[in-house]
Amino acid sequence: MVDEGVPAIRIQGLRKRYGAGDTAVDALKGVDMTVQRGEVVGLIGPSGSGKSTLLKCLGAVIEPSGGRMEIAGEAIYDGGWRIPDLRALRRDNIGFIFQAPYLISFLDVTDNVALLPMLAGVGNAAARDRARELLGALDVAHRAKAQVSQLSGGEQQRVAIARALANRPPVILADEPTAPLDSERALAVVRILNGMAAQYRAAIIVVTHDEKIIPTFKRIYHIRDGKTHEEAGEGREP
Amino acid sequence: MINLAGRDILHGWGKFAFTGVGLGLLIGVTLSMAGIYRGMVEDATVLIEGSGADLWVVQQGTLGPYAEPSSLRDDVQHAIAGMPGVAAVGNVAYLTMQAGHAGGESRVMLVGFEPGRPGEPAYLVAGRPILRGHYEAVADEKAGFRVGDRVRIRRHEYEVVGLTRRMVSASGDPMLFVPLKDAQEVQFLKDNDTLVIERERTAANPAFNRPGVPGLLEAVQASQAQSRQVNSVLVRVAEGADPEEVAGEIRRWKRLQAYTTAQMEEILVAKLIATSSKQIGMFLVILSVVSAAIVAFIIYTLTVNKVREIAVLKLIGATNATIGGMILQQALGLGVIGFVVGRIVAGLWAPVFPKYVLLLPGDALRGFALVMVICALASVVAIRAALRVDPAEAIGG
Repeated sequence: MVDEGVPAIRIQGLRKRYGAGDTAVDALKGVDMTVQRGEVVGLIGPSGSGKSTLLKCLGAVIEPSGGRMEIAGEAIYDGGWRIPDLRALRRDNIGFIFQAPYLISFLDVTDNVALLPMLAGVGNAAARDRARELLGALDVAHRAKAQVSQLSGGEQQRVAIARALANRPPVILADEPTAPLDSERALAVVRILNGMAAQYRAAIIVVTHDEKIIPTFKRIYHIRDGKTHEEAGEGREP
Repeated sequence: MINLAGRDILHGWGKFAFTGVGLGLLIGVTLSMAGIYRGMVEDATVLIEGSGADLWVVQQGTLGPYAEPSSLRDDVQHAIAGMPGVAAVGNVAYLTMQAGHAGGESRVMLVGFEPGRPGEPAYLVAGRPILRGHYEAVADEKAGFRVGDRVRIRRHEYEVVGLTRRMVSASGDPMLFVPLKDAQEVQFLKDNDTLVIERERTAANPAFNRPGVPGLLEAVQASQAQSRQVNSVLVRVAEGADPEEVAGEIRRWKRLQAYTTAQMEEILVAKLIATSSKQIGMFLVILSVVSAAIVAFIIYTLTVNKVREIAVLKLIGATNATIGGMILQQALGLGVIGFVVGRIVAGLWAPVFPKYVLLLPGDALRGFALVMVICALASVVAIRAALRVDPAEAIGG
């Protein structure tokens, strides 16, 4: 699925309806979005606007009601799923960063990151090599053997970012990754995301309410009442 | 691939270890129950083997001498001794009773036997055989007596002159071997008041107290105070003789019941300890169900506490097999810990049990397989719960 010439993700007219009949709620009413590899875009909007629904559709954890989604040029949804194994789709093509790190508490730092390549069939040694490389890039290599409970909040978030990058996915979905952080640390996370997007050629969609980081995006998708509106961001250095 | 179950167990080893020890104690009780049953069967087998007999001749229409009362005249043995195929015979009397010792009492099975004949102790581990005609005893070491100890049985004291091993009744009481005459006296002995009253009554009866017949009254009174009854005649068949055939001849010509070794085993195992076996079987079923419930509850609780992590695992691409396998392995791991602890504690406390506990390797293997099956079944509820976890739970909103 790696082709630098095509967008990492392209969404056209994506719709999602919850329920049916009189109680039906249209959470997404025709969302359009295109993100290139190496690009970090913001997805912002008030509560209930459809941000999480869009993220879940993009993450292939809920099925849209209509429209089309492509990852790296390949249609994954077009009026129905086009990929039979959604787990494998998520594992190989989508990285997830959550508001809380949600690391696996019973694995050490290296294995939290190496688990993804291992699930994809990469050998243990190669997976751990890849994990160590990412941990080095995120400045947490010195905590490689530590247990999750021994890490600070910032270290845990960096390990979570390393995990999201472990399978070299074309798309990374970040759900409020800076919400619990102060300004300095929030901007540090954005710097890391920008660096990782450039280094690993990943398209990163950051869902956020965080006013501190919104000015750092070059492109922003506003979502309101189930529809997106694209606008240029300030693109400030974080 | 990382062994997720192993890592989780190592991460929370204290919780797992304590749970495993608790489960292990329960499994230990279960293994001990099985061991008690095996011990009962073994006691019955040893009782038969230790008697040194090929046939048990008892009162007609009874399952004696162990499962039912049986009473025979002690001179029956002479008639049996002369039958074809019979090598040796011996009268025996059995009586389960309390024996006084060192200010306390012990439950024993008193065995009256004739030295040199079937029914005597199979072998001694200490001391010597009974040499005197009265008031000497050989005890099973489980009775707690030592050579030289004095044991009170009814109104007489007996000196323990020898010790034997694994000679117990079907209910596990240690045997105390005494000369047959002593056992008969104990078994049929009347108290002094009864004897005095009977003598007075006999003396007052003109039929027994005839002035013209000297010695009649004394003879009648002596017969009233004596017993010539035994419980069984043990028969050892001649070499080459068929025990079944000899038993058939005894049944046909002597109007007595004769049991072969196989028939006696059937009586002891299938009839005498049948109710106890069912009781133990019920306990085993209940303990298995309780163990399964405990494992299911523990594994379910551990799984529910990891819902967020399971959601993340599913979101990042872990298959149902990976997640289900993790929970199954944890349940089996708990079972392994529990079984090892259970087997160790069962072995440790088995000698303390008052009854013989026989822990067979085969039973342990079957128990291990059963524990694994129970743990696997118990993990089903937790696995179902884990597979129902929605990966979307990892994404907020």
